[in-house]
Amino acid sequence: MPLGAGLVLVVAILVFPSLAPNPYILSSGVIVLNWAVLATAWNFVGGFTGYISLGHGALAGLGGYATGLLITKAGMPSFGALIVAAILIAALAVPIGFAALRVRGASFVIVSIALVLILLLVFQSWSSVTGGSRGLVVPRPFPGMLRPEHHRVFFFLYGGLLVLALLTWWLLDRSRFGMGLKAIREDEDKAESLGTPTFAYKLTVFVVSAAFTALAGGLYALWFGDLDPVFQFSVLTGSYIVLMALLGGVRNLFGPVLGAIVVGVALEYFKAEFGSSPLHLVTTGLLLALVVMFMPDGVIPSVTALVQRLRKREQSSIREVTAADLAEQRKRDREEANT
Amino acid sequence: MTLTTSGLRKAFGGVVALDGADVEFVPGKVNALIGPNGSGKTTFFNCVTGMIKPDAGRITYGGKDLTGRAPHVVARAGVGRTFQLCRVFPRMTAVENVLAAVRPGGLVHGLRSAHRRAEIERAHGWLTRLGIEHLAGAEARNMSWGQQKLLELAGVLMAEPNTILLDEPAGGVNPALLDRIGTLVRDLNAEGRTFVIVEHNMDLVMSISDHIVVFDRGRPIAAGPPAEIRADERVLGAYLGV
Repeated sequence: MPLGAGLVLVVAILVFPSLAPNPYILSSGVIVLNWAVLATAWNFVGGFTGYISLGHGALAGLGGYATGLLITKAGMPSFGALIVAAILIAALAVPIGFAALRVRGASFVIVSIALVLILLLVFQSWSSVTGGSRGLVVPRPFPGMLRPEHHRVFFFLYGGLLVLALLTWWLLDRSRFGMGLKAIREDEDKAESLGTPTFAYKLTVFVVSAAFTALAGGLYALWFGDLDPVFQFSVLTGSYIVLMALLGGVRNLFGPVLGAIVVGVALEYFKAEFGSSPLHLVTTGLLLALVVMFMPDGVIPSVTALVQRLRKREQSSIREVTAADLAEQRKRDREEANT
Repeated sequence: MTLTTSGLRKAFGGVVALDGADVEFVPGKVNALIGPNGSGKTTFFNCVTGMIKPDAGRITYGGKDLTGRAPHVVARAGVGRTFQLCRVFPRMTAVENVLAAVRPGGLVHGLRSAHRRAEIERAHGWLTRLGIEHLAGAEARNMSWGQQKLLELAGVLMAEPNTILLDEPAGGVNPALLDRIGTLVRDLNAEGRTFVIVEHNMDLVMSISDHIVVFDRGRPIAAGPPAEIRADERVLGAYLGV
């Protein structure tokens, strides 16, 4: 199943730029892929360990600013700066995670929000370095390139990053390390008592998540070329990421991608329709409420369960039961009655 | 591998749960820890397994100091435990619950598949041994209380501890399963595992244990074989208030 869906995704990424009718749609595609990478990166923490971070927008913002500053202040080449920035943010995620991952549940959510707000203040006030509220202009990596071509290149770069993130998530998901992380999600104390060093596990996966998030943020800086603290360190970014992941389903490899496509496209559409009126926020909030109420596990698991139920109904009417099956069934029933 | 504590003390606000507990369990035997409600048995378990840090005192296992160490360090030293209100991973299948107890040694080992054949077979082996193999693919949250208790034990056993602490294994369990748990503990003990059991069901305690430690008000007041404990007046006093 993951292979088939993965192939569909790769083909879709490859053909979308040639199908996009105009550069505007293509740029919307870049934005949606950016969301897909962010939501998948978030899901390393949210999906595996169950820690809901609303602060991942800040990690993306840090990735963007680090990339921009390394280019403008340190004179590094664009993509070298991108990689170094991701490493720096991953390193920074160690002390951040060390503090934040000590608390669980709602407290963790609040700490993650605090991270965004603190960084917003820092990047706004420290204008000698960050440019403050005037923003930071990041030079384009391909100076002579025309707009549509620029979008196309970045669409593929984001596509590659998304595939890399998905591959990493998939690898962890099937690994022993991943099993330990999922045990943390289920019952952290229990996991710890079985010998899982839960804190080290959480911290490791937080750092991996931060690295991917920073890469997405850095790519955004290179693509968009202009960073503003208000948008880079916005609680909304983190909220959208969480909405996307929850909508698609956090226990599923492709859940966050699907959520990013649905919510990302909706956001772009609403922005185009209603301009910058807050109406898109209202609709997004409504969407979140509906998902939480009717599909708490996300779209993918809900739809899968529905398909299975329909299939079972079909089978049950024509199912043949052998004598051996019946005997086995009876034996089980008896055993169950005994326990 | 002897599990001992000396001068173990833990207070929650003004309530002194453990008041200088010196305990030595007999290795290779089934040890029981009994005492009235609130005598500090579960606090003792939680201190020994690192879930809470004692205010004072020492915990050693096989000569190794485990005082104040994190629960995973205690687990890796070879001490496994179950919980009073049995804890399983609700949204994992039974076999995944058992596989989750496999501890990767290093990075490469940790990135290997969690579903390797040898380990899956070992996990199924434990499920079979505990009589819940037919539920291997079922999510733990859909299992009955008794089945979850067995599943919890299967997970602990998968981690291959030398010493197993059971917190009220008979709690909320029907008589047939109670018998099975009793037999299981004896069998597992015969294979070389040390047990320490907190339990209120005296029939079970008297029938399966070799050594009993009686707690009252945060410290042991008696220790010895079942026959001796049954006749001990201090024990009767603590339990019956005579």
